[in-house]
Amino acid sequence: MLALLLGCGRKPKPEQVVDLYIESDGDFLDFLPDTLTCPTGARVRLTFHHAGKIISARHDWVLTYPGRLQALTKDCLDHDGILPQDDPLVIATTPLCDKGQTVMVEFIAPRAGDYPFVCGTHPEDMRGILRITS
Amino acid sequence: MKIKRIPALLATIGVALLVASPIAAQLKSPDDVKTALRLLVQVSNDFKRQITAKNFARLPHENMEYHEAADALRAAVKDEPAAFKNKAETRLKAAVAEYQKISDMSANAPDADKLMAEHAKAVAAMNALFDLFPADLRPDPNTPPGRGRGPAPAAN
Repeated sequence: MLALLLGCGRKPKPEQVVDLYIESDGDFLDFLPDTLTCPTGARVRLTFHHAGKIISARHDWVLTYPGRLQALTKDCLDHDGILPQDDPLVIATTPLCDKGQTVMVEFIAPRAGDYPFVCGTHPEDMRGILRITS
Repeated sequence: MKIKRIPALLATIGVALLVASPIAAQLKSPDDVKTALRLLVQVSNDFKRQITAKNFARLPHENMEYHEAADALRAAVKDEPAAFKNKAETRLKAAVAEYQKISDMSANAPDADKLMAEHAKAVAAMNALFDLFPADLRPDPNTPPGRGRGPAPAAN
């Protein structure tokens, strides 16, 4: 009871919001930067910009769990880049976008670790790491 | 008599060397040319990957991207002397036609081995185009697309 009362009096921890920005390397199959960092538990607002101007390839940003990069890559290739909405390998994903477009996704950063991300339509080329710190 | 001809011969050789010297040393938009050539290789590598994966339905899309990269090269050399531009256009057209052939073949009973053989011809046509440009602007056709190559294996 006492613990309950004490708990009621405690102020909720303020949510940390982290804004991350990433873009394609113009029309080339790379992310810039290819490493991002945020603390665990943060509300991440990630913005992805398709900086291409020439090639009409579509890109997105898909985050998966440590150790699941190969499985996600296979998944992306099997589904031609359009992953099912409830894909258990996916922590967060932006919508696909065309050259010149900018898209966004919000998610809560999971526990600390190195989380691979890919472009769903170019999973073998466009890759990077979201480093989540404790 | 023969000795008198030597200066004229040297002058002729000099002029010939000047004409044949890498025109790209004086290219007006070398960065744009470099980007376009790199994109052509990037798309060509994607062609090969889709054929290897027997993902034949993707080949017409890759062909469209090849056309886009080709148009980028045309734009990059548009202010070059007509002689160079014409030579580049001739070889570019030949390369584009080869990739178009792969795309067309993919629609009718595609055969991965035949498509790979056609892809090798297409790469040869593309390399003939690249020969017109100086080495420092040409991408390495064996370099896979993507600069970063993704996370370290430990993250896999």
